[in-house]
Amino acid sequence: MLLWMAVFVVIPTGILMVYSFCERGQETLVSYTFTFENFARVFRGTEIWPLIRTILQAAGLGLGAAFLSEWKYRGASWREWVSTVRSVGIPAFVIALIWILWSSLEEVFTGTYVRIFARSVYYAGGTTLLCVIIGYPVAYFIGRANPARRNQLLTLVMIPFWTSFLIRTYAWITILSESGLLNSLLQYTRVIEEPVSMLYTPGAVVLGLVYTYLPFMILPIYGSVEKLDNSLIEAAFDLGAGPIRAFQKVIIPLTKPGIIAGVLLVFIPSIGMFAITDLMGGKTVPMIGNVIQNQFVGQGRDWPFGAALGMTMLLMFAVAFWISSRKRSGEAVMG
Amino acid sequence: MNRRRFIATTSAAAAAFSLPAHAAKKETLNIYCWSEYIPQSVIDAFGKQMKVKVNVENYASNEEMMAKLQAGSAKYDLIQPSEYIIEELIKAGKLEELNGANIPNTKNLEAKFTKMPHDPEGKYSVAWMAGNVGIVVNRTKIKDPIKSYTDVFQDKYKKRIVVLDDNRELVAWALASLGVGINDITVENLEKAKGVLEKWLPLVKLFDSDSPKTALLNGDVDLGIVWNGEGAKILEEAKKSKRRKLEFEYILPADGAHMFIDNLAIPKGARNRDVAEKFINFVLEPKVSVEVWEEFPYTLVNAEGVKLLKPEQLKNPASFPPAESKLETFKMIPAEMSAAIDKLVTDLKNK
Repeated sequence: MLLWMAVFVVIPTGILMVYSFCERGQETLVSYTFTFENFARVFRGTEIWPLIRTILQAAGLGLGAAFLSEWKYRGASWREWVSTVRSVGIPAFVIALIWILWSSLEEVFTGTYVRIFARSVYYAGGTTLLCVIIGYPVAYFIGRANPARRNQLLTLVMIPFWTSFLIRTYAWITILSESGLLNSLLQYTRVIEEPVSMLYTPGAVVLGLVYTYLPFMILPIYGSVEKLDNSLIEAAFDLGAGPIRAFQKVIIPLTKPGIIAGVLLVFIPSIGMFAITDLMGGKTVPMIGNVIQNQFVGQGRDWPFGAALGMTMLLMFAVAFWISSRKRSGEAVMG
Repeated sequence: MNRRRFIATTSAAAAAFSLPAHAAKKETLNIYCWSEYIPQSVIDAFGKQMKVKVNVENYASNEEMMAKLQAGSAKYDLIQPSEYIIEELIKAGKLEELNGANIPNTKNLEAKFTKMPHDPEGKYSVAWMAGNVGIVVNRTKIKDPIKSYTDVFQDKYKKRIVVLDDNRELVAWALASLGVGINDITVENLEKAKGVLEKWLPLVKLFDSDSPKTALLNGDVDLGIVWNGEGAKILEEAKKSKRRKLEFEYILPADGAHMFIDNLAIPKGARNRDVAEKFINFVLEPKVSVEVWEEFPYTLVNAEGVKLLKPEQLKNPASFPPAESKLETFKMIPAEMSAAIDKLVTDLKNK
């Protein structure tokens, strides 16, 4: 186990870290002179004030929402207030934050690379959300089907993996292009007069990402659904829960490990994906994966800076993971 | 350019570990070349004739090749860099001198493609093919006259344009449109180029160096600034297409176009130099050079080969630019300037 960790995790990350503090050499790729410049460049141009303002705005909206919902019980105790802020305020804060970022990403993130990071998180987040929305019902349906059907259905999910990923992406290009299958079909059926631009748009990127990573969402959720004990659901119904309540209070919590695994399996690779953004997005808005790739094998040719970008991404994940796992263990204690 | 196809990146990664150890009996030749630039038939014919085992690895950009060479992990016998990279490699002492006696067929080359400024004595490199970067217009969609870069980047063509995904190219076009030399890359000139690119880049729908012809032929874009080999293929395809009426035009920008010359060279420390020289001599055979050209119609540099072409083949304006065209090659620039170019374009793309 230790050896495995050393070979696949510690050593590559160590090399990355060493490179990220080096300078770009004139004739060699990396010259071993210590510098912070690469990390400084990642964050250069980022103004802190728009970020703080955004968070304050969202927090204000969140508190406002909590205040409004509590307005009717004017004499509420301090404890009740805290619980309202937790149950109403925090979701309202998150929604407000997402909404502000959606409408003015460029103004909030002023540095080029920080903006690229933010945009990548955005695309990957959207992809993950869509994968959950589409993948959950599919996984549930497969998991609840009778065992003989189940294997057939799972095979259907896996079949696309038998072809090369690049070929599948090129197939999407032929479908979405202006003289492609979809546009021809829509024109033939008179839904549209002129071909619509579908390829090389942000929508095409998200479509490509969802298509590629959907099985990674379906399979872990399926694993949880399959293990789901039917008697627990029946018990929920017996105790008077309707279908929605049973789903919300019993099925979702029991399949949560599958959802979390699926979210991680979709979010992490899609944030660094560069092939789909290249081929289906037209490269007009680079994602972090494209930028890193460009520094290593592209024209940037600045390995230390690429390593610094990679390290920043790694740190970002580590922090996010640490926060979420702390939160989960906190919930476990309170629950 | 087809050769710069993305697949190359992945296949190169997959092939990285596949170089076999020195084969004991049969001679080997390890070629590291652009994807879709040396036809498989030519490689097979050479292997058969000389009884040599040929291993081919591909790259998609000069920069990718340089990264691999600098990393020093693999040993190649033959590489295929563009002129400004040859200049850089010679300066760094990274190329082996060629033994002229083994390559008598250099006499077949057109004189202007020998002893060029990047290798004045022709000691280190032999021209493979030349090319240029020009404008392709879909004439079924766009009737207006298009002569220069500025004609392409007009607001009315917003999101109807494909350009090469090549930062140095972009900057060169902006400089040319301002009447500045494409090699005068200074901090002040980059600042001027920035003003131009700021207006140009938002109009672009697609950045593609691998296969810009796909988007043009599919009708996803109507204008393109692409490699001439891609342009020549588009003109050919358009002639062949019967189902849809397609009409394309290839135009060399009046403000000055970039010309590139790709070369064959032997990197320092190559193990099979003799075989590599045999290969260079082999592809300089007029017939072989025509075979290459027919598959990848860039500008043929082999004078004896040109004589074998049919008159209508010589008429393809993308492959053979008119003699009076304003063409210029790239010169080597210092690392900090290429970093500045990279930063400039990345910043602008994220505006």
